[in-house]
Amino acid sequence: MNQLEKEAYLREYSLLKSKGKPFFPYAVAKDGWMAVIVMVTIILMSLTLGAELGPKVDPTTTTYVPRPEWYFFFLFEVLRIIKPPSLVPLAAIGVPSLCMILLFLLPFYDRSPERRPERRPIAMAAAFLTIAAMAFLTYEGANAGSPNQIDMEPPPSVMAGGEEAIRAFEAGKQVVAQSGCLACHKIGENGNTGPGPDLSEIGGRLPRQAIARTLVNPTAPMPPYVDLPDEKRDNLVEFLAQLK
Amino acid sequence: MPVPDDRKQQPKTTADAKIPGAYEGETVTRRRFMTASAHTAGGIATAAFTLPALGMAFGPVFEKEQVRWEAVGPTEDFPDDTYIPRTITLSPGIGEVGKSTVYVRRYNDTIDSEVKDEYNDYVAITSRCMHLGCPVRYVEASERFICPCHGGVYDREGKVSGGPPVRPLDRFYTRVRDGIVEVGPRYSLNSELRRFSPRDPGQAIDGVGQYLYPSRPSIRKLPGT
Amino acid sequence: MAKLPTTSGTRPRGTRAETTEAPATAPQRNKLQETGVSTIDWLDERTSLSAGARWMMFRKIPKGTNWFYTLGSATMFAFLSQAVTGVFLAMYYDPSATRAYESVRFLTNEVFLGEFVRGMHKWGSTVMVILIFLHMARTFFFGAYKYPRELNWVIGVVLLILTLAMSFTGYLLPFDQRSYWATTVGVAINGTGPLVGPYLSDFLRAGPEFGATTLARFYAIHMLLLPGIIAAMIGAHLYLVARLGTTAPPWIRAESSPELREDSK
Repeated sequence: MNQLEKEAYLREYSLLKSKGKPFFPYAVAKDGWMAVIVMVTIILMSLTLGAELGPKVDPTTTTYVPRPEWYFFFLFEVLRIIKPPSLVPLAAIGVPSLCMILLFLLPFYDRSPERRPERRPIAMAAAFLTIAAMAFLTYEGANAGSPNQIDMEPPPSVMAGGEEAIRAFEAGKQVVAQSGCLACHKIGENGNTGPGPDLSEIGGRLPRQAIARTLVNPTAPMPPYVDLPDEKRDNLVEFLAQLK
Repeated sequence: MPVPDDRKQQPKTTADAKIPGAYEGETVTRRRFMTASAHTAGGIATAAFTLPALGMAFGPVFEKEQVRWEAVGPTEDFPDDTYIPRTITLSPGIGEVGKSTVYVRRYNDTIDSEVKDEYNDYVAITSRCMHLGCPVRYVEASERFICPCHGGVYDREGKVSGGPPVRPLDRFYTRVRDGIVEVGPRYSLNSELRRFSPRDPGQAIDGVGQYLYPSRPSIRKLPGT
Repeated sequence: MAKLPTTSGTRPRGTRAETTEAPATAPQRNKLQETGVSTIDWLDERTSLSAGARWMMFRKIPKGTNWFYTLGSATMFAFLSQAVTGVFLAMYYDPSATRAYESVRFLTNEVFLGEFVRGMHKWGSTVMVILIFLHMARTFFFGAYKYPRELNWVIGVVLLILTLAMSFTGYLLPFDQRSYWATTVGVAINGTGPLVGPYLSDFLRAGPEFGATTLARFYAIHMLLLPGIIAAMIGAHLYLVARLGTTAPPWIRAESSPELREDSK
């Protein structure tokens, strides 16, 4: 913005202002009603959702699954999807700091006098991209499960197989959740992507015997599941073979 | 009001200064002197309460933690092929909140690659993930330490086998006294399992990391290890 | 400001008051009114506050100002609600590592209206975070951060950061599992900053591990340090709003001046 544009804006603004109405009571009335809406919202939330108090602090836990408040889900998800250890400082503190600095300095690098949204394509594109990215990350973060839990409906092929097949599916699912498979493998919406391959459709790619053999004698870095009781291993193989 | 910058031709004597009504020996105008003294007095008075308060707040950063050894059980409790979780106290005096879980097992030549010495007859591994500090769980079936937060996985020696953690799980010094295993201070390891003074989660030690995340005065590894 | 309605000679309110009052109470009412006027005159004679109040309240706001312009004051109102409920929560809260959880449990379950007020504080923080983001979005889309209001945008971003810092420090105080682990992760995130990180997290925890004074430290930051800075920043923010005026929506033009429209395109 050069001197001419600054003066033009100030002139235009003083004209607009001179034709305006006084702050009190016109704007204050709106502000007041908005304050009422805010308080009604807060009170309704307090009455319906209450003030839940979780279990007492236990730093010795090995089963608790920490999750942040919903408005930090996007940050939580950024930490989950940036996997390489060398990028951890970047994900944890680099990206958020950079975003804050960009936000902070906004009026100093966006110096054009244009204010109408439809004539600021770059600013609008950046804003909508940011909002979309944050919405997506928040959604993903909200749905990130624990590696010790699996949430999965039997696929149609199993449902068609009747009660027996469904029972086998459910039993194997339990073994998967308890045995730490999801730490390295993705199964449907559950588990981590890598280091192991995606097992969502493993039954279609490998025959049952091959799955059983891999469990006992895998390629490194996967550990051999030789100590697993036979029944559990059978359940596990059955479950994986059903994933098609 | 801005004071004109006349520092370059600072007069040496009262006569040069040409201050009307000045006493012999004066080379600074009274206004200038009072301005300087207002700034100085204000600065000193503010510093007088700010510095002690800040010093108090930052004091703990430089206070050294006491080395404590804590018994976790007789030697025969701990096998050499799997971990037994035990609770130890990290910060005494605050009950449950100061405690933490360690995973303990006997040193095993076929598994362990950490150099053997007097402090690791028993291997004691922390339950804090080295990504950002969540509680890891040892899953025996898969022989993995698994973090529930951001997808960290460690093998049974505590080395990273997947996900974002920046270094192997921290360990604690151990020693045996009268047949009882005792757990001492924590230390960190780089990816070759070389010992370093304990760092916080998220701080890499490999390569340049050990300089980017310096060890802190408050907590150090034992000398000579 | 309160003086203004009493200069009622030209206002319809004064006449209405006269017509609706029963004759018997009229002298008493007049006497009361007089006392009020003289009190305010006494104050104004010594403070000259009415000029400032008039400047603040009767400044003009440009044509086209709509409901989106209430988001800022709504955020401030949410902050006020947080400040007041917070003070009263502090009456029951005990920031010690061994008793904090128990005091919050007592406050929630035993104290009259305890759960309600704590709920207001808890959900008020969510509402405030949403409102501050909406207010920022409005400012962004209307281009209101541009000349001459750059400094007010900067102050606004500082307020956003302080609000997030409030929610981070407030998180620990109920001292349940979620509080503890969120704080552990949050402090570790601070620690990943190169060179200063390790010292910063030692400072936040008051030592190398979560210790006896960590909670008190977060409590002091949450309820003394940050609210003070936020209140001061809101003051500066408001002063600049009044000084520079609120923007008109970007599509509103001063119609009577076609020659002006030419040089601003």
